[in-house]
Amino acid sequence: MYSWRRLREKIFIYIISIVSLLALLPIAHLIITVFLNGFNVLLEAGAGFLFKNPPVPLSREIGGIGPSLTGSFLLTVISLPVTVILGLFAAILTTEFPRNPFSLLVDTIAKSLASIPTIAVSMVVFTLVVLPMKRFSALAGATALVIVALPYTYSYFSTMLLSIPSTYREAGFSLAMSRWGVVARILIPIAKRNLMVGVLMTLARIMGETAALLFTCGRLRTGLPSSLMGPVDAIPLLIFDYILSPFEIWRRVAWGAALILLLVYMLIFFAVKFFVKEVRL
Amino acid sequence: MFAVEMNNVNLYIGDKRILKDITVKIPYNSVFVVMGSSGSGKTTLLKLINRLVDFIDGVRVLGDIRVLGFNLLDHDPYELRKNIGMVFQEPNPFPHLTIYENVAIAARINGVAKKREELEEVVKWALEKAMLWDEVKNRLQDYPHQLSGGQRQRLCLARALAMKPKLLLLDEPTANIDPVNARKLEEAIVSLKDEVTIVMVTHLPHQAARVADYVAVLFEGKVVEHGSAQKVFLHPSTEIAKKLLRGEI
Amino acid sequence: MMLSRRDKLFLISLLPFSLSVLAVLVILLFTVVANSLDALKVFCIQLLTSSVWDPENKVYGVLAPIIGSLTTSLIAVLTALVLSILLAILIAEYLRGFSREILSSIVEFTGGLPTIIFAIWASQYLVPFLRDAVMMPLHSYLSFISIFSCRPVTGFSVFSAGIALGISIVPYVTSIILEAYQSIPVAYREACYGMGATKYESIRILLSLARPAVVAALILGFARSLGETTIVVATIGNSMNLTPCIFAPGYTVSALIASQFGNAYLYPYAESVLYFSMLIVAVISLVLSLYASSVIIKWRSRIVV
Repeated sequence: MYSWRRLREKIFIYIISIVSLLALLPIAHLIITVFLNGFNVLLEAGAGFLFKNPPVPLSREIGGIGPSLTGSFLLTVISLPVTVILGLFAAILTTEFPRNPFSLLVDTIAKSLASIPTIAVSMVVFTLVVLPMKRFSALAGATALVIVALPYTYSYFSTMLLSIPSTYREAGFSLAMSRWGVVARILIPIAKRNLMVGVLMTLARIMGETAALLFTCGRLRTGLPSSLMGPVDAIPLLIFDYILSPFEIWRRVAWGAALILLLVYMLIFFAVKFFVKEVRL
Repeated sequence: MFAVEMNNVNLYIGDKRILKDITVKIPYNSVFVVMGSSGSGKTTLLKLINRLVDFIDGVRVLGDIRVLGFNLLDHDPYELRKNIGMVFQEPNPFPHLTIYENVAIAARINGVAKKREELEEVVKWALEKAMLWDEVKNRLQDYPHQLSGGQRQRLCLARALAMKPKLLLLDEPTANIDPVNARKLEEAIVSLKDEVTIVMVTHLPHQAARVADYVAVLFEGKVVEHGSAQKVFLHPSTEIAKKLLRGEI
Repeated sequence: MMLSRRDKLFLISLLPFSLSVLAVLVILLFTVVANSLDALKVFCIQLLTSSVWDPENKVYGVLAPIIGSLTTSLIAVLTALVLSILLAILIAEYLRGFSREILSSIVEFTGGLPTIIFAIWASQYLVPFLRDAVMMPLHSYLSFISIFSCRPVTGFSVFSAGIALGISIVPYVTSIILEAYQSIPVAYREACYGMGATKYESIRILLSLARPAVVAALILGFARSLGETTIVVATIGNSMNLTPCIFAPGYTVSALIASQFGNAYLYPYAESVLYFSMLIVAVISLVLSLYASSVIIKWRSRIVV
């Protein structure tokens, strides 16, 4: 009896280790293949990959993803600050007035938005922004991105503010600081590392989102975008279209773009880890 | 005129009555000590004076309260707090500011000092009054986490003083620090009597005996004893007060 | 709380930004519902009983995509079930220090990975692998079972989409289970060891204690899979064909929308039908998410010592 229990312990540990390794295999394989396929393409295309236009379907030259990179950058520059500010203000509201009906409403809604399929957001923005404007636009794309990223940004900032010990708030009030004073001089500075992490996480979410852009930003791949009211492209969208296309050259471009996206994501990921390590309270 | 005057004040949190028919008068420039066992409502009473109780969920205050001549419940709390400083039970200097900045911020936002030289003067004055200056004068750019618990509490006192308040509220200020620092803090408190009115909460009868001019004893939210320190210590009228002063409850 | 005038002004200053969140949800729901009405009026039940996409002739039936959404999500949850629980237990109970950090980081990394990268890998590598290593063998030996009855040619199928989805939701489900498991008060673990249980036995007891939360985590994983688009489009084969065999290509609502919505405004009712299908998926997803979240909240308050 006694040794059967011991044996069972050992068996369980083996099973759990093997299964977990199995769970890790896909991601390892993914990273390796994206690197291998991507490097292959990037080596052939050279630095021009970052600013040339994509190739015509049956050409030999790889060309580049310049317009898509610019588009992604534009979309990020518009949607990142908006998402961060909306998320932060909503988080301040719900943490400063915890039992207020407005707060409960905002909290429930912000969290419910996360369960709405992102492609639905794309549909709605298409119907409400793209159709009336009669064109795809960076504006529409950014709107969709903000809606999609907001729940996560809000959740993160909300947790961040709640984790600041309330005694510092009280100390601030005892010094006759105003409500905004306490927020700006105490809460935000104490949380500034976490704030940075929140911004980076929002960035990762925005630049990796595909479905929200399917029917909103357009697909301008033949040159640089000229205005926010006009179509732009985005890296994930390019990958999406090209990997499913029948053209070999386009599929290669997709791998190259995927590697670039992965590298940027890894950069952000490690930056977040770095910032989190530094927090001391 | 009294610094703080309360008449039949009742404070509810939800349905529970925390402070019951409180009537106290705190004279200017005195050390007024509030004593009581834990749960008697002493901290709540203190936080009522600078309206920090506002942030408690479900709080309701009824009664007549005048602080520094103003009707507490009618006046803008943010304005009123400019004249009231507070030191909390657990030292809470701002971790993201240096020792200098912790004291300076109190002076700056209350308009006590604006220019560099004025600020430096006020910071030095406040740290001296808090009996911390000698220990930190060469490390003003250090951060609070580099100080000991007792030093941090004195830093909090300096921060409160830098507001140049008329009223100083102290919530068991020596509760979490060692005896040597506690004595230093008590000395600092007594020396401030001429410039500020001090309301201090403590559960240590000896400490009260050392510093108090006036004492109020709280038990389960009611004032059971109230008067000059002499009268309360030497001739307590209720059994509860007697037990408390002997340290039995 | 007592709110002075200044507190009220502070609240008001925060409202415009915060209430925009409310406006967004209202607008989203309203638009989806309003645009579904046309399809409901004209086609009604027909939409849910057939499987056809013929905008030119105004014939629509979205049974296949809806079933497909539900099936792929179910497969995804079944795939993630074992993996997530074991990963969570491994991290919570067996690893310490560096190795725990590494594993947690890997899970986090996978969780935030842009789904398009996952989709591209799944479509080029996972699908052929599944076809050769899993689907062909299953078909050869077990083709009398209806779900394995068709021969996988390309591998793009409901099955592949489900597995790919399953792998992609593992980090999400694992993190919910892990958080729940770690919020079990230490007192219960001490009770287990106190009565002489081994580690494995204690884990079983604690897991059964956490069962509502684990189930809720799986439901949340299901809801999330319902809405996923890119991974599914890349692996499912995009076919309106409705068959019980999971090795055949199929459709989900989001994949259908991804391929057809762009041109839908050219045909009458096409947009409306797509909105209607999305409404169904969104409502199921929302209801399940809210239910699962409330289960977790109730469970948390029940286990507090």
